[in-house]
Amino acid sequence: MIRILAPLALLAALLVWGLSQDSQATRADLVIVNRNEVSTLDPSQLSWQHDFRMARLVFEGLTRQDATDPDLAILPAVAESWTLSDNATVYTFRLRPSARWSNGDHVTAHDFVSAWRRMLLPDAAADYLTLFHLIDGGNTFTQWRAEALKTFAADATRRNNAAAATALWEETRQRFVADVGIHAIDDLTLEVRLVAPTPYFLDLVAFPAFVPQHAATLDAIQTIDPRTAALVWAPIWTKPDRLVTNGPMRLVQWRFKRSMRFERDPGYWDASSVTLNSIDVPTIEDPNAQVLAFRSGVADWVSDVSPGYRGDMIARKDNYWKAHETEIAPLRSAGKNPIEVDAALPADPANFIHVLPSFGTYFYNFNCGPTLPDGRPNPFADARVRRAFSMCIDKQSLTRNVRRSGEREANSLIPPGSIPGHLSPKGLLRDDAAAASWLAQAGYPGGANFPEVELLFNKDGGHDIIAQAISRDWERALGVKVRLVQKETKVFSSDLKAGRFMVSRASWFGDYGDATTFLDINRTGNGNNDRRFSSSAFDALLDAAASETNPAKRAGLLSEAERLLAEVECPLLPLFHYVEVSLFDATRLKGLGAHPRQIQDLARLRLLPSAESNP
Amino acid sequence: MIRLLISRLLQIPLALLAVYTITLILAWAVPGNPLEGPEGRRPPPEVVAAMQARYRLDSFGGFYLSYLADASGFTAATRPAQPASTGVTQPFFDLGPSLQYPDRTVNEIIASALPVSMLIGLAAVAFGLTLGIVAGTLGALRPGSFLDAGTFIVALAGISIPTFVTGTLLQWVFTVQWGLFPVAEWGHPRDLVLPAFTLGLPTAAYIARLVRIGMIEQLASDHVRTARAKGLSEFQVITRHALRNALLPVISFLGPALAMAMTGSFVVERLFVVPGLGQHFVNAVQNKDLFLIIGVVLVYATLLMLMNLVVDLLYRWADPRITAS
Repeated sequence: MIRILAPLALLAALLVWGLSQDSQATRADLVIVNRNEVSTLDPSQLSWQHDFRMARLVFEGLTRQDATDPDLAILPAVAESWTLSDNATVYTFRLRPSARWSNGDHVTAHDFVSAWRRMLLPDAAADYLTLFHLIDGGNTFTQWRAEALKTFAADATRRNNAAAATALWEETRQRFVADVGIHAIDDLTLEVRLVAPTPYFLDLVAFPAFVPQHAATLDAIQTIDPRTAALVWAPIWTKPDRLVTNGPMRLVQWRFKRSMRFERDPGYWDASSVTLNSIDVPTIEDPNAQVLAFRSGVADWVSDVSPGYRGDMIARKDNYWKAHETEIAPLRSAGKNPIEVDAALPADPANFIHVLPSFGTYFYNFNCGPTLPDGRPNPFADARVRRAFSMCIDKQSLTRNVRRSGEREANSLIPPGSIPGHLSPKGLLRDDAAAASWLAQAGYPGGANFPEVELLFNKDGGHDIIAQAISRDWERALGVKVRLVQKETKVFSSDLKAGRFMVSRASWFGDYGDATTFLDINRTGNGNNDRRFSSSAFDALLDAAASETNPAKRAGLLSEAERLLAEVECPLLPLFHYVEVSLFDATRLKGLGAHPRQIQDLARLRLLPSAESNP
Repeated sequence: MIRLLISRLLQIPLALLAVYTITLILAWAVPGNPLEGPEGRRPPPEVVAAMQARYRLDSFGGFYLSYLADASGFTAATRPAQPASTGVTQPFFDLGPSLQYPDRTVNEIIASALPVSMLIGLAAVAFGLTLGIVAGTLGALRPGSFLDAGTFIVALAGISIPTFVTGTLLQWVFTVQWGLFPVAEWGHPRDLVLPAFTLGLPTAAYIARLVRIGMIEQLASDHVRTARAKGLSEFQVITRHALRNALLPVISFLGPALAMAMTGSFVVERLFVVPGLGQHFVNAVQNKDLFLIIGVVLVYATLLMLMNLVVDLLYRWADPRITAS
């Protein structure tokens, strides 16, 4: 017995010793819980909200947004100033001489040029590649390179020939310089030529996909795969000891699936505005453990709270607000945002949960193609049918009784108030009689002869109860039969892509501060137009907006495009606008913004010392 | 002994090849596109083409062979060397990149998660072994007694109640109510207690049943009667003579149990926020992270086979009557 257990015990003791060597020394100034492990800090690979948040800590673009401003005003960042040509297509950015990389190097225009060139290369497989096609010559360059790589791989004489692969890369670099409108005039001057006037370009360059990347670091880890001639960047460059950054903080530790630690970068040009010395970001996937971590004081801010009892937490907060109605009313009329209101109320655990609007919408797709996947004619190809199905939904009951998460009912795709200057349409309001009459006009009085509706959704996330509520509304108001089809998420999305559905659950989150970030997905042939919606009138409005230089007229065109979508064509049925539910004590944590785009300036938050009793 | 060891070590690569082939076929057949972004957001077609070429996702046969060559170390010598400036050292067994976490390789992910899971697994099995043997022996001493019935009920509960129930319960009592353990922390020996206890409970229950049955049989056997007749104390009779034989089934159970416990548990890791390997078995499939799926399955299979080998060797040590066959 002893002989079996002794080696086991010895091994265990060793491992326990190893474990105790691995603990975090001190608590950081601020602890933020992420629900998902940050998948990458490589600006070319970013695609999730939690990745972007961390990227904004360590990288800084030409501009940045003021997170606490109600309109997310643009502030100069690496660029200290800029000019725009008369035809509104050429930006000249003057870079700040004091901008530094974390290794002490100057941030130069060349760092932007090589970073943006990397983004445009299909080799880097950047999620946000298409945003760079706003730059003159960008699209052509990407297409050319993709074609060249394809030809190379198919050419037996060049494949696996390192010299040929290098020659192709040399040609690519020359083409980029000759054809693409991104130029370093000198170390501190960056000129960007755009395809067309892009009024949101200054907002866009604050987006983490547009940050500079330290050219020397990337060059050192870049190799050319002789088989495909594609550039490959060894993934190790984002490790804490290698990552060279230019943001307010530096990454000092990253333990996979555990936590990240950031510390202020003393060499950052605006270091005096950075209020925190260190931030810890543990990953806690389990929703209950997240809440426990907050309640026990381990975490100061949990940004995506989703335990089963979330509805009850929100209901408790509603009661708390009702009890303090007299204090809240004057704050609201003074234009305070919900975080500021909470900060002015006495601290109470019931008030630590915050429901803030987010930059996304939950909706249903109607398949607008002429035929169904099995070849039958598609009734939803008729806009009158889509209108009928859009007008009989009890969205109020959906948000209040089914979701119970404080979401706003949606009648448009773009969350109202999230984009300055954009006028949201009022959409189709609920009118069961009108819905039935639209259906009758389309040739299905009382739902007669209407094929059984198949409603496709993915499992998890509570989509099933939403589908049940909506299918009941349709059956009741329109007399149609609805069949619910639930599929595993990956299967679901491949069905969507292939158009194998009649009606499906969907959602969309915007990326930048312009209406096109939502509207473009309804353009004919857009890669994310799962609805197969095609309207020449809608496309024409977007085209007209793209070449319109007058901001007010342009906003008018885009508002009209959304009105067409929401009130006439109805390729999608908006149900509610997403919210972000977070946990923090607003009387202690200062500096969080309440803008729907959920951009936060984490390095500039402040955490006041806790009151004597912290529950 | 040596012959057994050699023949079994030779079998392992063949078995791994079979495991690899079957896993890849299944993982390949899982519908869905691993290159998709959040909420089904799709990368542009030229990006998809470039990614597929890079990861050889465009053909099953090509992927099968190239991954096999990398993972088996076959190409370790011929792989294009990274320039010294990159400071990248290439592993012998290259399990490829992770599609879900582009900043990491599968080797890195397993290297960071496996020790954690092994630690919890070992602690869980050690705990299960101790509790199981003591409870089983106590039960066997007085079959049908109150003590026996008690251990039987506890064992039954341990086997039947899933870990997410016991884990949640333990967390609620010890962490929330009594505040004995910190929430969501990893990096201190005390963080091991609750996960190991939760994970070890079913093992303990199973071992208790195995020991009880074996002990009852042994206590009635001739050699135990002889030992008693020699005048040995009851304690010596039990530990030296009865328990040694009663433990044989436990040893054979221990191999797979250790391999299973050491490769982590999705539920326990999630509940106690432990950065182990178990979560990857589930998440990798959901994300269709092909490289990670194959990587964790190969590691699990290797561990399982090694553990079984160790068990066979232990068996022969514990009972010399067993011959290599």
